[in-house]
Amino acid sequence: MKSKYLLVMLVGLLSTALLLAGCGGTDKKTSAPAAEKTKVAFVYVGPVGDAGWSYAHDQGRKYLMEKMPDVQTTIIESVPEGADSERVITQLAEQGHKIIFTTSFGYMDPTINVSKKYPNVVFMHCSGFKTAPNVGTYFGRIYQARYLSGIVAGKATKSNVIGYVAAHPIPEVIRGINAFTLGVRSVNPDAKVKVIWTNTWYDPAKEKQAGLSLLDAGADVIAQHQDTPGPQQAAEERGKFSIGYNTDMSKMAPKAVLTSAVWNWGPYYVNVVDAVKKGTWKSEQYWGPMKDNIVGLAPYGPMVTEETKKAVEDAKQKILSGQWDVFTGPIKDQSGAIRIAEGTKMSDQDMLQFNWFVEGVEGTIAK
Amino acid sequence: MPFSWEKRLTPSKFMLLAVPCIALLLSLLFCGVFLLITGRDPVEIYVAMISGALGSTYGLSETIVKAIPLMLCGLGISVAFRMQLWNIGAEGQLYVGALAATWLPLTFPALPAWVMLPLMVCLGMAGGALWAFVPGILRARWQVNEIITTLMLNYIGILWVSYLVYGPWRDPKGLNFPLTAQFPDAAILPFWGTSRIHIGLLLALAIVAFLYVLFNNSRWGYELKVIGSSPKAARYAGMNITRNICLAMLLSGAICGLAGMTEVSGIIGRLQPGLSPGYGYTGIIIAWLGQLNPLAIVIMSFLFGALQVGGYMVQTLGVPAAVASMIQGSILFFVIGAEILTRYRISYTGCKGGRSDRE
Amino acid sequence: MATPFIQMQGIVKRFPGVIANDQVDLTIYPGEIHALLGENGSGKSTLMSVLDGLYQPNAGRIIIDGEEHKFGSPRDAIACGIGMIHQHFKLVEPFTVAENITMGAKNGDFWLSTEKIKQEIIGFGAKYGLHVNPNAYVWQLSVGEKQRVEILRILYQGSRLLIMDEPTAVLTPPETAELFSNLRRMTEQGCAVIFITHKLNEVMELADRVTVLRAGRVTGSMERSQLNPNQLVQLMVGRDLAGRSKPIQTELGPVVLNVDQIEVLNDMGRLGLRALSLSLREGEILGLAGVTGNGQRELAEAICGLRHIEKGSIHLHGEDITNLNPSAILDQGVSYVPEDRLGMGLVPDLTIIENLLLKNYQQPKYSGRWLLHAKAIEENAAALVEKYNVKTPSLHQPVKILSGGNLQRLLLAREIATIPRLMIVVYPARGLDIGATNDIHQLLLDLKANHTAILLISEDLDELVALSDRIGVLFDGRLAGEFPANEVDLDELGLLMAGSGQTNGGEPNAI
Repeated sequence: MKSKYLLVMLVGLLSTALLLAGCGGTDKKTSAPAAEKTKVAFVYVGPVGDAGWSYAHDQGRKYLMEKMPDVQTTIIESVPEGADSERVITQLAEQGHKIIFTTSFGYMDPTINVSKKYPNVVFMHCSGFKTAPNVGTYFGRIYQARYLSGIVAGKATKSNVIGYVAAHPIPEVIRGINAFTLGVRSVNPDAKVKVIWTNTWYDPAKEKQAGLSLLDAGADVIAQHQDTPGPQQAAEERGKFSIGYNTDMSKMAPKAVLTSAVWNWGPYYVNVVDAVKKGTWKSEQYWGPMKDNIVGLAPYGPMVTEETKKAVEDAKQKILSGQWDVFTGPIKDQSGAIRIAEGTKMSDQDMLQFNWFVEGVEGTIAK
Repeated sequence: MPFSWEKRLTPSKFMLLAVPCIALLLSLLFCGVFLLITGRDPVEIYVAMISGALGSTYGLSETIVKAIPLMLCGLGISVAFRMQLWNIGAEGQLYVGALAATWLPLTFPALPAWVMLPLMVCLGMAGGALWAFVPGILRARWQVNEIITTLMLNYIGILWVSYLVYGPWRDPKGLNFPLTAQFPDAAILPFWGTSRIHIGLLLALAIVAFLYVLFNNSRWGYELKVIGSSPKAARYAGMNITRNICLAMLLSGAICGLAGMTEVSGIIGRLQPGLSPGYGYTGIIIAWLGQLNPLAIVIMSFLFGALQVGGYMVQTLGVPAAVASMIQGSILFFVIGAEILTRYRISYTGCKGGRSDRE
Repeated sequence: MATPFIQMQGIVKRFPGVIANDQVDLTIYPGEIHALLGENGSGKSTLMSVLDGLYQPNAGRIIIDGEEHKFGSPRDAIACGIGMIHQHFKLVEPFTVAENITMGAKNGDFWLSTEKIKQEIIGFGAKYGLHVNPNAYVWQLSVGEKQRVEILRILYQGSRLLIMDEPTAVLTPPETAELFSNLRRMTEQGCAVIFITHKLNEVMELADRVTVLRAGRVTGSMERSQLNPNQLVQLMVGRDLAGRSKPIQTELGPVVLNVDQIEVLNDMGRLGLRALSLSLREGEILGLAGVTGNGQRELAEAICGLRHIEKGSIHLHGEDITNLNPSAILDQGVSYVPEDRLGMGLVPDLTIIENLLLKNYQQPKYSGRWLLHAKAIEENAAALVEKYNVKTPSLHQPVKILSGGNLQRLLLAREIATIPRLMIVVYPARGLDIGATNDIHQLLLDLKANHTAILLISEDLDELVALSDRIGVLFDGRLAGEFPANEVDLDELGLLMAGSGQTNGGEPNAI
């Protein structure tokens, strides 16, 4: 008996909702935006306020708005990587967005799926490996910046133990750890990099906790690959140093942050939108080097010595010249075996599938 | 306090209809004030929300897509809750169901669809059932609190999926990313036209019918009801409580496992971490709000599906995700809060000289 | 008598579908013991809950010392000097007596002076004869002592009217006697007492005045000098009970139940039954007397398969049923009316139909392999409710809304309907009014006439004598004695119940 009433109540509730929806339908036209602007959409995996990954992309979007006033942007934040993302991307395409940037690896399949239904929309997927005639991928060689930040960390450490809070054991993260470690050991061959996996991208409390554990284990510099500044806060709290990631994190931890390996998406976004507008855009897999300024180091903290800055600058020039890259042999793995022979540069293909650690990393990759 | 709560023996019909509608309006009003204060146009936002979820064929189809796993989890949970078994492990059962179902296309990718899909359904249900059976038998035999065990098994189930996709089941062609290979076409559930509504909807509705008959007209459903209300009486009536606890948990887990299977096979097309944004937990709220009634659970899951689909649409107007969540939350808050009013009434019981209210 | 202390005028209290109190008037004078007499469900407790502020009346006035008051909560009632002791004590077990008594008391400072309070409690105790150690923890106390703490708490709050809801239901006879003398002493100090009961002998013994309720209305009110038990019964039940049921002599058939030297553990894991043996024949009623907790529940549950038998055996019609599972024993035609009616015998939240299905839902008539036959089930329920005179607004109501007598009739209806070969009945009339008790007794006698063997476990000697063919005494898990019903010596029974000849302790519970 009770359930019957409940049903009546629910039907009532739903019909109210539908009624409102009906009203909504008629209103829709009045709120249509000015048509002449190019509509560009961004889909973020975290909130824009994460001070990390999504924040960096949103800085890029703001740069785009500034440089191209005839562009109108829409953002959708905190979109999970499962079934929801495909709908969000579809609805953005449906609303007439001409270019849609999907900024997380997990959006790869959904982006490809939606692109098939909207051949006139350009989709740009960040960090994936699948393309289509109207889908391009883009990413930056952040490992180059990480190598430089490793030099800073290697110079700063006294305990010769550097902690690294890492999200998931995927090639992108492993590559970053390896590049960072090579940077550390280029100036301090005795130092080790201890890795803790958090298995999250966005969990400030857990990531901070991981940083604290590493500090307890003797680390005096904390680097990270997460979407939040949690590990920096751990270092700040304990009066130790840290290397930021994604954006300049010195605001969050002014006493701790030596420098940060940062993304600079803005100029690239301007290029893409410009190319689409001019009709010159073509699907490609863009993996931007430091030379393109898509990655770099944030300004140093006051505690970084001139000598360190000099060492970084030297390495930077070497990378910018294109003569040398971070993964140039000889490089040994954790067992001491030589994986990359002297004088050989690791291929992009191999770098994209990285699944081993270089010598000097303390940690394991789940297989 | 000059007010007191009085329980209604039979909820009044008018209130049952009116209260949720009023609650919905109140919550919109409440959020509207907030939105106005923060300088946004509430009408525009509500229109976006509702039309995004229900105002177009695509929105409606996506609401249904979203409702399928919610419905299955809610239904699965309701079976256990009917017996006062607090299965909060639907999330883990969903993951293990997805895992078990994934095993088949990865191991035998060449099977034809008519063998593949039914077997995947069975595997998914078996996986979820196994994951619920462990707490079930622990509870039935040794009185181990199932709230703790089901909750803990959530983490274990999710971590198993992580282990497999980071390790043994990783797609060799996937550049070491944590994904299994994409399923062959034969392992993808049929769907309607260009929408993402898959045949899982029919499976879910079949389960609704099954549970409806089970709860209302079946011998076993009667046993569940008695055991749930009074285990002592059930034992006295000669019912086998241990067996029934295990069976109820098995069925509960199997339905949640099916939710995992339909997600990987109907929507995602492969196993990956982050496969469920908390369907198993939302399912608890849905089961509860639906008062464990299968038909009400269907309606509730559409409502929740619409809320979530509409929530993302609000962001296209420049509203942050947090505000969208706040709107969703306050709608729920008002509707749940109002639900109490249909069962209780507030009576004014002023001190001296006041009049108490009448029927 | 002086001016009235409390006047309740025209009190009406409706619950959905029921009028619990209909235009009830009640007057209480200072210093009197006023018995509120009525069958279960006659509205006594509702009326008192109105006076206690727990319920708000739909109409009517409460006048205290000539001034009208409205109570929103028991707190308001306490402020007017009214305190109620419910059947279930509201004490916090892990706290001391002193803490329980001061809890919720408004008077006094924020920082309670423990010494002062203890002195006060001891003072009160001396004044009213309510002796309790203020430092004792409540869980250490006996039921009688807990009741004393409750009374002390009410007095400590400064109440001038004490309402007691069936206070003797939980007490042993000596404790009852002590309670009565304490109440007397309190009224001498000017306190008024309202005493809710359905036991005539208590009214006769204690009350200064009596108000009788039936079906929510006052049917009579009289002074002590006018009291007459027969008239009271008539006012209560509205029918003449002069012709009480007498056992019909039936031919005893072959042995149905044979319990041989069984040993069973109680809930604490100690021996609850010690080598107990008994046998029972067709058409026979074996009454088992005894103070609660001497193995009654263990025996009933052991026979029904609900409790594991450590040693010994039980045979039913010559077949060994020792430690069979409960449903197998049910199938052998064993019915059981447990002590715990609402919770074990009946499921409070399920409807009348569903409760009547509890024992026979597996029968082909009511269900197939998978589905229930709703129509047959409902027809059966309707027939049983009709036949056994269960009063209910609808078959679809949850049974928890039924009164005690209706619950018991419903339970017996179900158990009898299975046409049992053996019926175990535990405390069948406990808490029931006279009318319902008679109905229940008649049902048992009818069953006996139908050749069912009945094991009647009761603490009411009148009931046992009235119904049984033989009477045994359970003491400490043993059968302490057995007599043909017509040779029973109540004094001797009392001695056996108290522990074979030891004279201290329990007196016979005869009324």
